[in-house]
Amino acid sequence: MENRKVNAVIVGAGAGGGVVAKELSVAGMSVVLFEQGDWISYDDHTNDELLSQRTTVLGNSCGPDDKRYRRVNVHPDGSSHIVLPSEGDYNNNAACVGSGTVTYGALAWRFMKEDFRMKSVYGHVAGSTIEDWPISYEDLEPFYEKAEWELGVAGEDDKNPFAPPRKRPQPMPPFTHNKEASLLKDAAHRLGLHPFSIPMLRNSVPYNGRPACYRMRTCIGFACPVNAKSGTHNTVIPVALQTGNCELRTQCIVSEIIVNELGAITGVTYFDKDKRKKTQLADIVILSAAAIETARLLLNSKSKFFPKGIGNENDWVGRNLQGHDYPQAFGLFKDEIYDDFGPGSSIAVCDFNHHNPGIIGGGYLKNAFIRLPYGISKVRPPGEKLWGKEHKQFQRMNFKRIAEVHGPYQQIPNFEQRIEVDPAVKDFWGIPVARLSGKTHEEDIKGCKFMAEKAEMWLKEAGAVLTWSSLGISNGVNAGQHQAGTCRMGNDPKTSVTDKWGRVHSTPNLFVADGSLHVTNGGFNPALTIMALGFRIGEYIATEWNKGNRFK
Amino acid sequence: MINKSISRKLYLLVPAILVLVLIGFSIFYTYWNSASPSKTCASCHEIESSVNILFKSAHRELACKECHGTALSNGFHSLKEKGMMVVNHAKQDFADEIKLNEDQMLEVMDNCVRCHKSEQARWLSGGHSAKYKDIFLNKKHNTTEQLNFDCLRCHGMFSEVTIKELVEPLDIKGLWKFKDSKVADKPVIPCLACHQVHQEGFAHKNPDYASPQSAFYERKSNVSKASFYNRQDQTHVLAEDLPKLKLWEGERPVKVSDDPLMRNCIQCHAPAAHHQAGTSDDRTPRGVHEGISCLACHDPHSNDARRSCIKCHPAISNCKLDVTRMNTSYADAKSANNIHWVACSNCHKVKKPGME
Amino acid sequence: MNNQDNLSRRRFLQLTATGLGSIYLLSQCSQPFSKWRFFTNAEARLMDAIADQIIPPDEWPGGRESGVTNFIDKQLAGPYVRYQEEYRKGLLAIQNSCETRFRKKFEELKWDEQTAFLELMEAGKMKEASWKDEFDKTFFALIRDHSMQGYYGSPRHGGNKNNVSYRMLQLDYPLIIGQNRYKS
Repeated sequence: MENRKVNAVIVGAGAGGGVVAKELSVAGMSVVLFEQGDWISYDDHTNDELLSQRTTVLGNSCGPDDKRYRRVNVHPDGSSHIVLPSEGDYNNNAACVGSGTVTYGALAWRFMKEDFRMKSVYGHVAGSTIEDWPISYEDLEPFYEKAEWELGVAGEDDKNPFAPPRKRPQPMPPFTHNKEASLLKDAAHRLGLHPFSIPMLRNSVPYNGRPACYRMRTCIGFACPVNAKSGTHNTVIPVALQTGNCELRTQCIVSEIIVNELGAITGVTYFDKDKRKKTQLADIVILSAAAIETARLLLNSKSKFFPKGIGNENDWVGRNLQGHDYPQAFGLFKDEIYDDFGPGSSIAVCDFNHHNPGIIGGGYLKNAFIRLPYGISKVRPPGEKLWGKEHKQFQRMNFKRIAEVHGPYQQIPNFEQRIEVDPAVKDFWGIPVARLSGKTHEEDIKGCKFMAEKAEMWLKEAGAVLTWSSLGISNGVNAGQHQAGTCRMGNDPKTSVTDKWGRVHSTPNLFVADGSLHVTNGGFNPALTIMALGFRIGEYIATEWNKGNRFK
Repeated sequence: MINKSISRKLYLLVPAILVLVLIGFSIFYTYWNSASPSKTCASCHEIESSVNILFKSAHRELACKECHGTALSNGFHSLKEKGMMVVNHAKQDFADEIKLNEDQMLEVMDNCVRCHKSEQARWLSGGHSAKYKDIFLNKKHNTTEQLNFDCLRCHGMFSEVTIKELVEPLDIKGLWKFKDSKVADKPVIPCLACHQVHQEGFAHKNPDYASPQSAFYERKSNVSKASFYNRQDQTHVLAEDLPKLKLWEGERPVKVSDDPLMRNCIQCHAPAAHHQAGTSDDRTPRGVHEGISCLACHDPHSNDARRSCIKCHPAISNCKLDVTRMNTSYADAKSANNIHWVACSNCHKVKKPGME
Repeated sequence: MNNQDNLSRRRFLQLTATGLGSIYLLSQCSQPFSKWRFFTNAEARLMDAIADQIIPPDEWPGGRESGVTNFIDKQLAGPYVRYQEEYRKGLLAIQNSCETRFRKKFEELKWDEQTAFLELMEAGKMKEASWKDEFDKTFFALIRDHSMQGYYGSPRHGGNKNNVSYRMLQLDYPLIIGQNRYKS
């Protein structure tokens, strides 16, 4: 049966797409929201360490699966290999309704003012495409607020002197700390740092008809058994569906953007759950499939009007791929610091986000989420045995004595870290897969060293008798769940893919609303920023639409 | 003519074959239900290990059918399942985790209570015999509790469906109803929630009357073991393998009984994540009762604790107090002094030196 | 239980089929049977010995007793199907090297000899041709990682029998956690 044409098609029901779907459908527009995965619940995989979204050795609990999905990774020497979704260098994002927002750690950061003006603050960096955003923090502030109140955020921004100005406090009180975080909090004060409880998209008190977090051990990488974590799947998407204007089509793979004989974009082609090829026509197409898949879809949509893929006239689609480096330090304590009061990760400092001498950008530091037994079996001080009797004894002695401090270092964007489509390898649906290449900018090493040292210093002050650290820089592509930057926003069509509203420069009715837009990726987890951009773009489209603008 | 004789022969032949098959089957069926499990059920590799444990269990004398019924008594569902096992086995498609479904588990439970009538009667008289409808169709629950996965951890741990498929709507605007109303009268905490038949144990036997002391000294520790059914992993965890509660009253660690049976109770009657005493559903004894087990007062099947005081506080004790009449929640539900954590100082003001 | 006497024809046929099936089954099962999905019995014995070296038994059970071999076997027939060839090749290479060096099987070596052997593998110092291109190193890293998963991962995948590693680490499992909303 032929699908009825709708006002808007949205590809991807994650942090960006879920928000846009709600904004458009509440404003009265008819919407089809595509999602490659399905609804998932805690019951499917519970808190199984080996089969989650964080440790994926036995697979991704929320998809994508190893059977149907592939990517290609290019090594520095030019050779390449096929990677499966359960392998780390796939740079996976969850494939389910809500995507990463179902299983994330739910850190709810606003980027700082400087994060939108990286070039103005730090100047040009050789070998980098560092640039200012076409919008400022002030432009996005109202939408951060909207995201915080509509999805639900707990926090205490007033305790963070580096937090950007806000008009309204976060809607829920902050989370309390466990033993480890309390030690770190006191230590931070002694060091003259400014610790505060991390803002979380997680209920510290009942909010919006969902209960409060009950502080179990496992959180990041897993769905929430009590639905206390706020994602788009349990907030904005249900609102969108309730309007009756939004149809969510799960288990559908969008393969191409349709361009008609006049060069206009008229909808998308997709495979339904039985692998039948179908089309969905729409006045507007919005891509929210995350940095890798959004770029792949644009590049796979080749026609005589767009021979290099849509929006790729100047070879910018898929460029500037960014994630975060994760400089980390471990500290071994004399006494047990683990009290099983979950899920960890509650204390942070923003003292190192900017204005560090000789460092470009930076990032915040925080205590890590609770590490589970298999995870800890890989954590050893340098020189310690990795198996055998000593390894087992170390595990037994120190499982409750290890703390980890880490943070996302803001990567310096570079043109060569990128995604293309592979000329040969195709996925289960016959669509050319993403081909990832390039590596982190060399400046990152300096910045990560700086942060790792600070992390060790913090742990030592908290009482660690032994500390060790790593830079957390991958040898190849580094995108992961924080992937961003592949469809950069900008005012100049020659050096960006979309305008400041996320509209692809060369088309009137094709938008992007996900991390692909980020010019730079901040020293923070990007989820709340992606949501805020979703609210801003969604509101823009809906307002224009209701004024009669049909984006032709 | 020929047709006629064939059909006449058929009239004789078909019943004859049927009778033969029936006889053959009856012999097979009788053999199957009387032979040792190692020659029958346990010849399926999938259940070999289960049967091996049974041979070491308190129920070692029982034949499989005593609990699991025969191929005929369990109805079509079980037949189909066994048939599929044969097919899968022939296809070398080995299922290594064969589980009872909720109905099969309840059938086993029917067989438990054939012998354990008194335990059943006590269970029926206590709160743990609640049915799905008592928990999920409770009006107050419907407007105060947010349904989620975790409900089934303690209420309906054998449910084959998730909470989403069990109850609707999933909000606190009430009233809830079951998607499949057949579930309403099933028990949410059946025998196998706390018991595991296939586990090591000792068979009861008579003492050696030639040496009467053996009745005491040679008796194996015959405490009935408990096992908690962990819905999340669909497996039983022996009570002694369950974690012992670590509980705090402020900074002070509370002394918790070592009784492994109590670990079963704690799985559901648990404090909140920070393990502060008295939070959430914690009723671990503190105050004058600190360190004793739930089972010191509560009967494990009925949960009844009436008349339990006498075990430790006989009327002829030194203190001569009738503890049953003191101002505690034992005597009066409205009392502020909860029997689980009442302390001397709740009633007797302690005078500290220098306070006067 | 009266209705069991009323055998319908359909049920009768089903019963007969089941009965015949069972007889067929019994005849099948008298043959020697490997309880493993991927490993041969000999490979499994070797795996057990390696698993105990990687996670040795002490006050707490080691890799073998806690089901590491079972875990790996199960995964090789599932999500780790892509490692089947590596295991077959690697386990054979271990036994061949042991045969050349000691004229014994790996599991027959003394404890310290086994440890030393695995240390050579870990360091990439095996000389035999079957270990070329650092296969000794990568294969050992693979077994080590998979053994840790089996011992420290969730028991639902066939390892960590009786939650042994969780109990060893004094990590409450199943969690003792109430939902903090039983307001009277």
